[in-house]
Amino acid sequence: MTKHEHYEALVVGCGPGGAAAAATLANQGVETLVLERGTDAGSKNVSGGLLYGEKSAPYTLDTLFPNFREEAAERPVGEYYIHNVAGRQVKTFDLHDIHHRDTEWCDAVLRRKMDSWLADRVHEMTRETGGGLLTNVRVNGLLRDGGEIVGVTLDELDPITADVIIAADGVNSELARDAGLMDWEDPEDWFQGVKAVVEMDPEVINERFGIDDDEGVAHLFSGDLFDGVRGGGFLYTNDQTLSVGTVFHLDSISEEQAEPHELLDNLLTHPLLDQWFQGEYEEREYAAKLVPDSKKVAHPSPHRGRLLLVGDAAGQMQAQGPIIKGMNHAVTAGGLAAEAFQEAKTRGDTNAAGELYERKLEEEGVLAKLRPKRYRATRAVSESSIVNKVGNAVLDSPVGSVGLKAAGKFGLLEKSFNSPFVLGMIPDTKMSYAVIPERIGEVMGTRVTDDNTVEPPELDDRIGDLTYDVDDPHIELQDNSFEASGTAVTACPVSAEDFGGGCYREETIKTNGGQEKVVSLDTQPCVECGTCAVVADTHWEHPSGGKGVEYKQG
Amino acid sequence: MPEIDPTEHEIADLGPEVNQIDDEQELEEMLALEKGGEARDAVITLIENRLDDVAGEAEDVDPAGADLTEMTIADIANMVREVDDVDVLEDILDREQDGKDRKGAKSQIESRIQSLEGDDGEETEVEYVPPEEKYPDLDHPTADKQYVEGTVDGDYRDMWVYCETQQGQLVDVSREMLGQARHLMDTYNTEGDPSEGQYGGDEDGNPEEVVAVLIGDGVSELAEECIAYGADRVVYHEDERLERFKHKPYTEIFCHMCRDFEADWREYHEPRYNIFPATNNGRDLSALVQGELDSGLASDCSDLYIESAMISNPAKTGTPGDSKEFDRILHMPRPDFSGFEYSTILCIDKPHRDFHPQGASVIPGTFDMPDPDHEREGEIVEHDLELPDEWFDIEIVESDRLDDGVDLTGNDVIVSMGRGIADDPTRGIELGVELADQFEEADLGLSRGVLTASYQFDSHVEQYVQMERQIGESGQEVEPDVYIAAGISGAVQHKVGMDESDTIIAINTDTDADIRDFSDYFIQGDLFEVLPQLTEALEEGDFAEAVAEVSDD
Ligand SMILES: Cc1cc2nc3c(=O)[nH]c(=O)nc-3n(C[C@H](O)[C@H](O)[C@H](O)COP(=O)(O)OP(=O)(O)OC[C@H]3O[C@@H](n4cnc5c(N)ncnc54)[C@H](O)[C@@H]3O)c2cc1C
Ligand SMILES: Cc1cc2nc3c(=O)[nH]c(=O)nc-3n(C[C@H](O)[C@H](O)[C@H](O)COP(=O)(O)OP(=O)(O)OC[C@H]3O[C@@H](n4cnc5c(N)ncnc54)[C@H](O)[C@@H]3O)c2cc1C
Ligand code: SF4
Repeated sequence: MTKHEHYEALVVGCGPGGAAAAATLANQGVETLVLERGTDAGSKNVSGGLLYGEKSAPYTLDTLFPNFREEAAERPVGEYYIHNVAGRQVKTFDLHDIHHRDTEWCDAVLRRKMDSWLADRVHEMTRETGGGLLTNVRVNGLLRDGGEIVGVTLDELDPITADVIIAADGVNSELARDAGLMDWEDPEDWFQGVKAVVEMDPEVINERFGIDDDEGVAHLFSGDLFDGVRGGGFLYTNDQTLSVGTVFHLDSISEEQAEPHELLDNLLTHPLLDQWFQGEYEEREYAAKLVPDSKKVAHPSPHRGRLLLVGDAAGQMQAQGPIIKGMNHAVTAGGLAAEAFQEAKTRGDTNAAGELYERKLEEEGVLAKLRPKRYRATRAVSESSIVNKVGNAVLDSPVGSVGLKAAGKFGLLEKSFNSPFVLGMIPDTKMSYAVIPERIGEVMGTRVTDDNTVEPPELDDRIGDLTYDVDDPHIELQDNSFEASGTAVTACPVSAEDFGGGCYREETIKTNGGQEKVVSLDTQPCVECGTCAVVADTHWEHPSGGKGVEYKQG
Repeated sequence: MPEIDPTEHEIADLGPEVNQIDDEQELEEMLALEKGGEARDAVITLIENRLDDVAGEAEDVDPAGADLTEMTIADIANMVREVDDVDVLEDILDREQDGKDRKGAKSQIESRIQSLEGDDGEETEVEYVPPEEKYPDLDHPTADKQYVEGTVDGDYRDMWVYCETQQGQLVDVSREMLGQARHLMDTYNTEGDPSEGQYGGDEDGNPEEVVAVLIGDGVSELAEECIAYGADRVVYHEDERLERFKHKPYTEIFCHMCRDFEADWREYHEPRYNIFPATNNGRDLSALVQGELDSGLASDCSDLYIESAMISNPAKTGTPGDSKEFDRILHMPRPDFSGFEYSTILCIDKPHRDFHPQGASVIPGTFDMPDPDHEREGEIVEHDLELPDEWFDIEIVESDRLDDGVDLTGNDVIVSMGRGIADDPTRGIELGVELADQFEEADLGLSRGVLTASYQFDSHVEQYVQMERQIGESGQEVEPDVYIAAGISGAVQHKVGMDESDTIIAINTDTDADIRDFSDYFIQGDLFEVLPQLTEALEEGDFAEAVAEVSDD
């Protein structure tokens, strides 16, 4: 085999998972090279924005990176509410308990700022070890020698080999796919998150949310806002913006042929939000990304040979009811993977890193959080549609609402929302996301009388406001029939029915003697969310280093 | 008793713990415990490694006050390597003499002092042994190459620039390189500060030249232009067999010109500097020529400058530990890792082997295009050499020139079609072409929406549906007198390619289409009906009237 440039450790991706892995490796003096496809770390990344520092976590960003919270995060978030919405009826619960459970701190973050801050430190730290951080490079696959994984191949550079490869390349990890550890087949395994960053003066935020400069709030939304699509909405306060977004089950978006941007608009224009917008709305950025559902896809053995997966790449994204914890688990996993390698190295057998990493995930209780046994046990029944129907019937009957009222009176509902046990069990059915909250709102809620007059931008303007450096198409349609790929026309967050400016467009072409409905694809407006990799028949890759969309907020 | 008793822990848990401990004492105790217990190899290695690290850190002592008796010879060697102050070193030496007085330690300190003091006439030169003698067991592919070890202290002058041509014209990068060469050599010939690249000419104070090289068929016609762009002298070789770039004859000719060609102005061994364009052909030629001349090449450079350089590599200076200043060094920065890092390459003679010409290839566009000075004077020299037939064994049997592509700029009128043609894409394109045909200087443009659609076009219009007709952000930007947008919604990415047009006429069924906001005339209607009407009106000569009549704005 030809000799390639070699490092002790390669880390692919500089999100929270990659940054934590690289910092831990560098602390141990391991020669580490970090590869990031964005033109700047964070330029590809989106999250809703609540980063948890869990008390039980062995690694957190503030301990790995001094001053992280002061310099890279937005506001610490202390208050946490969920609004159950039925039309104008809204019932609000305070989720203080669940939010603060096992929480040392919780900050709202914007990923461009956070990740690029981390990247600067990572670069400094890894430089000391003889490595460093390279941006604008995309890893496009694994390098194998006689079937063994020995390194990575890249679009921009010659292949690089290493004793360990930590893939922290996020959701739609090309490395996890290449290693056969993940596939992108089943919409049930994913959520789709869509978000708008909305401009607001810090003083106005303080005033309208009733907080101080160094305080923040989180609001969650569920109920009948989203046309029956399973999922919910969120609003978090940043320093001088709000992050407002939605997270839905991808299978539900697909089945309902829902338009994600419209669902976001449903939230943005709901009367409840008038108290905060008061008729003013300036959107800084529209963004979207898939989110793995750890309950289904957290890989119990996320390694193969020298390759260790961390974070979203390994499916380690925990949706604990309305609480979304991905970044913190990515950090923990990154730290553990690095630690596993260092230990394997001290033992003189770097090949043992994967096994050690797996054991650590188990021992640190990470896996138990990601894939609760309770969920595994209840899922089979609670997601079947029969149970659902019975549930619906109960809720529609007068007894159902009396029951609810009673439960409400004794605070039982609020309690069960605040119970990690119940949240871990909550089945992913329409009932838990839409029907129950809607009934709660209907039965127990108070009426919102405000009128929300804001007009969020149209999709073409949202696309127009994004920054792109476009290259050759990075997604190929394998089958352009509407049956195979038509779902993408609606599910793609930058496409829509009857919209010529999106990625996926429905078209009718004349064939011999008939007409055929097909879809065409233009990847220029693509925000690389990963949705069509799952819901359409495509060959899906990320764009080359530095190409494609560039988020300024994230 | 240390905080952690290793014998009570699994090795897996010990790794991170041990690596946190900074106290040597504690580590020693742990080591003792482990040795007294199970004495697991891995644990012992772990703790010993950590001990080494911790000890290493502790070594960072102030050399001036270091207690030498506590240090090993290796420690002292490491320490003095960092010290640049001879007085401090003398003091260390004295203290070692008064202390343990180890021979090894003293020689380390002395050699450091010597290397810092440098030229005191007593330096030990590395003895030169030709590689064939030094390593008799290896094969020496260059042993029979007279130039490799042959040339020492040769005579080198001038900056040679290979001026590539295409279709009988200089390519832009040739002009750019001439401009930069002129600038560099003007500075070089100026009396002044060597660190600024000013040497006042060669070693004897005579100015050196920029020599342009032209090879090809009929290239002598370009010689004057080379002078206008900065050459002092142009050497050309023309022959019809050189019409296309061919490795063998081009390399042979170039090497002959700059090494073997006898001319009164070329009384030197080889050029001092050779500059090539980093084009496809230039890359090939530069590598072949510099290889044949047994020198080096920095390819794909993104800057060039001449300066002196302090070098301490003994392979270059001939004396270990000594730094030496090299004059007139071409600095050749080039991107590594495809541009993620930069290195500056220097090509420097060794004591027993010269590395000249210092060669570089330059990325096109690196240097600004200079303004030609047609008054400039220079010498034009024809290179005479019989070109043997064997050099032309390779024959080009077929060649194709890629289309220049469609250039939409410069038209009076552009008719652009958008996804409004969806109902009958072929007819839509036909209508656009028919309308454009009514004008003298007009052409067809397209929105990206059409180009990325799954529309099927009949073969006679397919030739029009080409990416190069795309107007907009990722296509062409045009500003004709009249821009007709039919079935185009006016997305901002399309708009930036056409909104400088004098008059914009939009045809769209949707009165809310964005394009209306920046159109001078908006015709609400089906393009399949409106376009034929416009074409017809034009045939009759009253276009303006027709537009005014149907327009809503
Ligand atoms: C709308 C939304 C809301 C969310 N809300 C929250 C929340 O409130 N709290 C929370 O904790 N989590 C939240 N998440 C989830 C969270 O963002 C992810 O779990 C987290 O970012 C995962 O971190 P990671 O390091 O594994 O991957 P990422 O952060 O995705 O980082 C992967 C990195 O790898 C790079 N990369 C990818 N492929 C390549 C390649 N081939 N070559 C080189 N580089 C590559 C990417 O550019 C990126 O920088 C949310 C997600 C979304 C979409
Ligand atoms: C990064 C990026 C770069 C881009 N670069 C470019 C670029 O360089 N150039 C470019 O053009 N686009 C570019 N786009 C795409 C751009 O956003 C639009 O999607 C595209 O211009 C839309 O093409 P369209 O107007 O033909 O189609 P549509 O937006 O679908 O508009 C079709 C219009 O035709 C009208 N119509 C329908 N039927 C009829 C009829 N029978 N008669 C008359 N009118 C009819 C409709 O009302 C509609 O207004 C880019 C996008 C991105 C994200
Ligand atoms: S084209 Fe695919 S990856 Fe890109 S934004 Fe649309 S759904 Fe997401």
